[in-house]
Amino acid sequence: MQIEHLHDAPSNSSTLMLNGRFDAHETDAFRATFDGLNDDGIHHITVGLGDVEFLDSTALAELVRGMKRCRENGGDLVLSSLSDPVRVILELTRLDAAFTIN
Amino acid sequence: MTDIPLENYRQWASTPLTTRPIYSVVIPAYNEEWRIVPTIGAIATHMSSLGEPWEMIIADDGSTDSTVELVQELELANVQLLIAEQNGGKGSAVRRGMLRARGDIVLFADADQSTPIEQFTALKSLIDEGFDVVVGSRSAEGSDVANKSFLRQVFSRGLNLLVRVVFRIPVADTQCGFKMFTAEASETLFQRQVIDEFSFDLEVLYLAKKLGMKTAECPVEWFDAPGSKVDPFKVAIEFLQNLAVIRWNDVRGLYKSANHELPAKAPLAAEPTEKTKTSTAPTGS
Repeated sequence: MQIEHLHDAPSNSSTLMLNGRFDAHETDAFRATFDGLNDDGIHHITVGLGDVEFLDSTALAELVRGMKRCRENGGDLVLSSLSDPVRVILELTRLDAAFTIN
Repeated sequence: MTDIPLENYRQWASTPLTTRPIYSVVIPAYNEEWRIVPTIGAIATHMSSLGEPWEMIIADDGSTDSTVELVQELELANVQLLIAEQNGGKGSAVRRGMLRARGDIVLFADADQSTPIEQFTALKSLIDEGFDVVVGSRSAEGSDVANKSFLRQVFSRGLNLLVRVVFRIPVADTQCGFKMFTAEASETLFQRQVIDEFSFDLEVLYLAKKLGMKTAECPVEWFDAPGSKVDPFKVAIEFLQNLAVIRWNDVRGLYKSANHELPAKAPLAAEPTEKTKTSTAPTGS
């Protein structure tokens, strides 16, 4: 999986565009990037999932963890431009109600 | 703008088929509570996007976790859930699923999505060319294997070499959990198949060769799924034992005819009329 980081300085927010398969093999890399942003004081983070074909349960748990961390710091993790399989996986796991989705 | 694949999925998820499916996807599942729902979501979205009637069959293998309950709670209209009272082995779960399939083309796919469902079309193109059995292969030229441990690679290559030499089966990867069959081939093979452990794949391919079926290998993407329940040492020993068992079964004539009856297929839903509203049919055993 590839992670592209885009930062918007005026709003102090970031977007992580993911590409590929987001599974347990990729969570360490995602966590390192995500926690790095939080450590730098960036708590409004959008995760773009338009080019992700598959999320496994470990990846879902990682996104939930990230969402909690952002919200604890007054921000949010927003999911955007969901691919069809990602949208369906979020619906079936009922996590679509937990996340802010653009 | 309407998203056609997503609309196809929603139709499939809510409305029982009234015509025989073209495709059946069989997923054997043993204690897959951690993985089964994302897998169902990915497979359902992709298969629905193909625009043909299709069904999914979850062949539980006596799960003791919440796999069965999770699948039931999804209430997907075109999922057949086959519940097993006890764990019988992957071979038994796949057989039950394959023999209940109603599609013209039947795929069995592992519950961990280690071979992404997007590979379906590549295998189907070989069925369309006239092959009876198409085997997803991690060894064929053009395959893409990620995260497979060195130990598993050594075991795979050693065992597959043995299979080629002993059985003369021209398949480089007998064990990939992504195989496609015509309905006729599936019923013929799985009615004869008797091995319930992991080596059932080998037995099925042996039978396909014995019965003169046309078999092809198709290179696939493959991702080693974390949390695999496969112990390479145990599987290797079992595999070697089963090589001998398959030979012995053949010598004593066990494969001359069916060893399992063909079960009754699930009925299709009635066509909705003006006065009757179609309601969601929950998954059932």
